[in-house]
Order: sequence, then C-alpha cells, then structure tokens
Amino acid sequence: MTILDVRGISRRFGGLQALSDVTFSVPKGQIVGLIGPNGAGKTTFFSTLVGLIRPDSGSIQLDGTSVVGQKPHKVAALGMTKTFQNVALFAESSVLDNVLTAGLLRHDVETARREALICLDRVGLKSVAHKLAGNLSFPERARVELARALCTGPKVLLLDEVMAALNPVEMQEIMDLIRSLRDDGITLLVVEHHMRAIMTICDRILVLNFGRLLADGTPEQVANDPVVVEAYLGRSMEAHK
Amino acid sequence: MKRWIAILAAIAIAAVLPLLLSPTGYWIRVLTFTLLFAAMAQVWNIIGGLANQTSLGHAAFFGIGAYTSTILVLKFGISPWIGMFAGGFLGGIAALIIAVPTMRLQGHYFALATLAFGEVMRVIANVWTSLTGGPVGLSVPFVPPSIAAYSFKQLLPHAYIALIALIIVTFIFEAIRRSAMGYRLRAIKENPAAAEVIGIDTTKVKLQTAVISGVLMAMLGTLYAQVAVFFDPDTVFSAASISIRVALIAILGGVGTAIGPILGALFIIPVEELMNDLFSSGAAGLSQLIFGVILIAVILWRPRGFITVFDSLMARFSNKARS
Repeated sequence: MTILDVRGISRRFGGLQALSDVTFSVPKGQIVGLIGPNGAGKTTFFSTLVGLIRPDSGSIQLDGTSVVGQKPHKVAALGMTKTFQNVALFAESSVLDNVLTAGLLRHDVETARREALICLDRVGLKSVAHKLAGNLSFPERARVELARALCTGPKVLLLDEVMAALNPVEMQEIMDLIRSLRDDGITLLVVEHHMRAIMTICDRILVLNFGRLLADGTPEQVANDPVVVEAYLGRSMEAHK
Repeated sequence: MKRWIAILAAIAIAAVLPLLLSPTGYWIRVLTFTLLFAAMAQVWNIIGGLANQTSLGHAAFFGIGAYTSTILVLKFGISPWIGMFAGGFLGGIAALIIAVPTMRLQGHYFALATLAFGEVMRVIANVWTSLTGGPVGLSVPFVPPSIAAYSFKQLLPHAYIALIALIIVTFIFEAIRRSAMGYRLRAIKENPAAAEVIGIDTTKVKLQTAVISGVLMAMLGTLYAQVAVFFDPDTVFSAASISIRVALIAILGGVGTAIGPILGALFIIPVEELMNDLFSSGAAGLSQLIFGVILIAVILWRPRGFITVFDSLMARFSNKARS
C-alpha cells in the first residue's frame, strides 16, 4: 500500500533549480534513506513535502490525499511532519512543553502531557523533561526534535539529520528507535550523512544530486551503482564497505 | 495552596482599600484609574505578552468601546451594561479587520501598523461629527443613580467595578496561558515555522488572540467612559495616553506574566499623578520630563520588569519561612 506518492516535484529559487522532476512512491512501513552531497536539495525537499515550501509543479499524495498547497499544520494533521536539521526547538520552554505542544494536535493538555512523556522516554530524554530546551546539548536537542515530531502522531515522519554529532552508542539507540517506529507502522524518510547508519537501517535509498533524483534502490544497488559512485560517493563509499 | 492564599490576600486588601479612602476624594479616583489601567494592560498582555505581538493600537478598541456604549445611551437610552457588550462585539470585529493584514508582520513593523490603525480611528472619530460629536467630544448623560443604569453618585462603586474587571481579565489571561492555546502561543512566539510543522494553525491562533484582546479592551472602554463622564477622540483614541501607556505598564511590570501589568499599573499611574501634582503648577512640561527619566531609570535597572523584584522578594520570603 502506497502511503506517500510524489510525482514530478520541481522548485526553482531564482537561478537555482533546487528540485527538478522528483518522482517516487513509498509503501507503508518502509524506511527510506535520502542521501546526496551538501546542497543537493534534501532539506528543500523535506520542506516541500510538509508544505513549508510550495513546489512550482508536481503532486504529492499522502495516504491518498493531495497535500500540495496545503499549509504545514494541515499536512501535520493529515499525518506528515519533519524535524529541523538546524534544530528549531522552543528554546525558552521546557523539554516536556516542547513535546507536549505537538501532542495538542490530537489530544487535550493532560493527555498530551502523558503522550509527551512516552515520546521522551522513547528517545531516552525523560530525565531532562523539565530542563529548558535551550540548555541541552546539540545531540540532545536533535532528539527532542524527534520526540516532538513523533508526538504529533505521524503516519510519515521525515527525519533531517537527527544522528548528527552522536557517539556510536547513542547512534545505535536512535537506529533501534527508528526501527521500532517502523514496527509501529510509521513510514520514515531519513536524511543522514553517516553512511554506515543509513546503509544499515534503510530498506531503500534515494540519491539526490543537484535537485535531481539520481538513483532509487536497495542499499546494495545504490552502493554499486556506477553513476552514484561517480557523482557522489566515490572512494569514501569504498572505504566504508 | 500557598499561591491561592497569596491571591486571596491580595484581593482582600484590594477590596478593603477603597473603603479607607475618602469617597469623594482625589485618591479614590487615582485608585480607580490604577485598577482600570491594570486591567487594560492585562488585556494588552494577552496579545503583547502571550503572542509577543507588541500592539501600539489598542486605543482603537478602547475608543470603540467608549463611543459605542455612550452613543447607545445618548441616542437610544440603552444601559451601558448592554452597550459594553455591543462595544465588545464591535471591538472584536475591529480587531479581526486589523489582524488579518498585520498578522504576518513582526516586531517593529507590527507595532507601527497597529499604531497607524489607532490613529486612523482617532481621525475618523474627529471627522464623523454626526455620530461622535467630533472634536467636541461626548458627555455621558446623567441618569438617576442605579446599578442597572450604571450610574453612581460616588466613585466608590466605580473602583469596585474596576477591581472586578481586573480580577476577571487576570483570570482570563491566566486561563489562556495554561490552556492548549497558551502552549500554542508560546510555540508561535518562539518559532513560527516549527509551530506550523507540528500542527499549529498559527494564523487561526493569532486571530483568536487578537479578537479576545480587542473584545475585552473595548469592554473596558465602557468602564472608562462611565468613570470619566466626558471624553473626546483625542483622549480615548490617544496613542500616547492609551495605546503606548498600556504597553508600557505591561512591559515595565513584566510582560507575559499575570502579575506584571498589576505591578506596572500600581507604579506608573500613581507616580504619574504625583508628578503632575508636584510640577504642573510650576512648569507644565516638567512632570512629563521627570516621569520619562524615572521610566528610563526603571527600565535600565530592571529590563525584565518589576516582576523580577517581586520574584526575588518572594524567594527571600519563602527561604526565611523555611529556615
């Protein structure tokens, strides 16, 4: 069953073609990695999916409903949200309040508080629930981002570099978490620079370069695709294998 | 528990205080206006503090309230109590009209746009002579004193009405702050894009806030009209003595907190009166100058408002009580 269907998405910023004719579809419950060099358009693509950026052309269907031209809050209500790469927490609020606020999309304040604590527990941050979000370390803040997005009760969750700056143990925890979210029926799109992590957890990988979809396949197919290797992965990919 | 005792004690003191002042005297008037301006600043605090939208146009709603109830008494003999709700309704519509185009603006741009809106209302009230009486102003007609007609011989009932209004708007402010809407407003204030992405309809929440604030401000305009008895466009639609003053009271007291506007009003209104009293006979402009210097000094001393003084006093008090 297709949960997310993207057809011919293009977006131009002045002279820069940020996205050009991106087409793919994702069945429910897949973990899809999105990779590509810096400036390939990964974050722009996520922003377009959730409605922060309007595409010039193309269609996006979430579980059968068109979301192009919808505002982000509407897209979130329909079941798709994202984390922010550069971390966009409510810094003056507590960690709990950050996550609780997302829970208000589907619950009243008291239920949202319980849900928020469950989400914080899942990312391993229950112990810092009452700290100010702005006082956390960067990797912790990225995990609060994840908990907050999770608390909206998404069908499709877009994770933009939530593993940045994590140590190997923490990274393993997040990878386990991503798998358990998939087991809960959530479909995940993951942007990550850490190749080994992405090759391990993803069922499938999309490669974006200059806003264009370069490859789409299993981690093995993508890793062995000469076009991908030439355009982006190069020798560093060999080193990781 | 301790909190509630403190709140009840404060209300009890405020309820007894008017009885201690001479019912026909000067200070009961100062107290009434202090309570009224505290309420106005609290209403401003809903949009200025919770949504972080620094409105400098709240005189628009205030004046609409004052004019609506007074015109309804003058032309149709309708009780100001009913006029107050009619004014609130019109204030809400005005708030909606101003909020739609200004909502996307932030910071100084929002402040300037709302300031302009307040000024437009002042000009309209001055020009639309057939309805408002123009620059001459309006007098609230004298009717035999009764609660139903909102008419009293003395200022004492007005002081109590202002006190009740302050208590009501403070509870409304606090209720919003703790509700889902309060969480959403804090999210919008800190990161509007992230707020949208996690499912907050930022447009709707901002509009709701603006309308609530506009309705309540207009209703307080009726209270003012009934106390002042006479007013003109330049008083009730004044940028300096209404719009900027209520913002100043809330900011000086502690923006975004329930106690801030009350502390701010308790300081600003009496000090302003005192300055006028002391210096107006000598040099007319001097009181404003000295008042301005005091404000600058206070803001330099406590940039986050009197609430910080209050908080540290409370902390010291509870530490002592514990040891």
